Amino acid sequence: MNPILEQIYSTVIPSAPYVIAAYALIWVALLVYLLFIMRGTKKAQAQMTLLEEELAAQEAKRSAEASLSTSAALGEDKVS
Amino acid sequence: MKEKAREVKLPESGQWPDRIAPVVLGAGIVLSTLGFLLAFLWVGPVYGASVDGVELIGGSMVSQMLLISQKIFYFHMPVAIVSFIALAFAAYYAIRFLMTKEQRFDSCSQVAMEVALLFVICTMITGEMWTRFEWGVWWTWEPRLTTYLILMLIVIAYFILRNAVDEPERSATYSAVISIIALIDVPICFMVTRLIPSSIHPVVLREGGMTADMGICLAVCLLGLLCVGFALYRARFNQLRLSQRVEAMKQTLEEQQ
Repeated sequence: MNPILEQIYSTVIPSAPYVIAAYALIWVALLVYLLFIMRGTKKAQAQMTLLEEELAAQEAKRSAEASLSTSAALGEDKVS
Repeated sequence: MKEKAREVKLPESGQWPDRIAPVVLGAGIVLSTLGFLLAFLWVGPVYGASVDGVELIGGSMVSQMLLISQKIFYFHMPVAIVSFIALAFAAYYAIRFLMTKEQRFDSCSQVAMEVALLFVICTMITGEMWTRFEWGVWWTWEPRLTTYLILMLIVIAYFILRNAVDEPERSATYSAVISIIALIDVPICFMVTRLIPSSIHPVVLREGGMTADMGICLAVCLLGLLCVGFALYRARFNQLRLSQRVEAMKQTLEEQQ
């Protein structure tokens, strides 16, 4: 290779790993944060579904208990 | 009291920013990829030290070394600007929290600080890569690097303090003060290279400004990364609000049992 061209391009190969690392690490950092958000969202959504089911079950149980006590009270009234 | 609460419009998940967030994220990915391609395929090269002769390359006479490491600049400066903008938002919401004591503003400030930390780390990574190659060292106590390191430490301190204080309102108040302090460091970071003449950190204007192609590429990268930052902010805010709702629901169930 022409010695002047060699001098002109002398910094290209040595700097390449740093340039590649700089760009790659930015995208890695952004992707890791995005994955962290997605994981957290999935976990929270799953918890929310479970809690909603639990809440619905509790409300159904409570309303069943309330209707039972009402009918029991009505029965007592009839007997008396 | 109720009237006062009604006057304060609270940020919430599912509002209009969330409806545009997926489109903004897509635009951010496209623009930053385009910026990356422009930086390497379209923008003219930057030259450094002189060589022992002149050579004709691509129709122009070249007598200096080609500086590929300068290509880091097209992402380094935009990520730094996005970190400054995120810090400004964090401080804005911190001030609103201090004024209203409304926890929602504290949540917004916390998410903005997280996004700021992410972009501060990106700025540090890109800066370190350039410094290692151009200056031959991983670190030097240069004014810009030092002030930016202080900024990063303040942001890290914000999260340490946040987790260290148990009482939510006290934790939010201290955190709000720290995010305002972080914002105060932003203009110092930005201006230090101009105020201290011995600073060796490159300054665009001092280096002779930018050519039109460099400016266009930088603007595309900046716009792309701003879009990515915004989309990440909204995604994290939605996740945080969902987690807060889960906690509230858990508490309701515990009270009922």
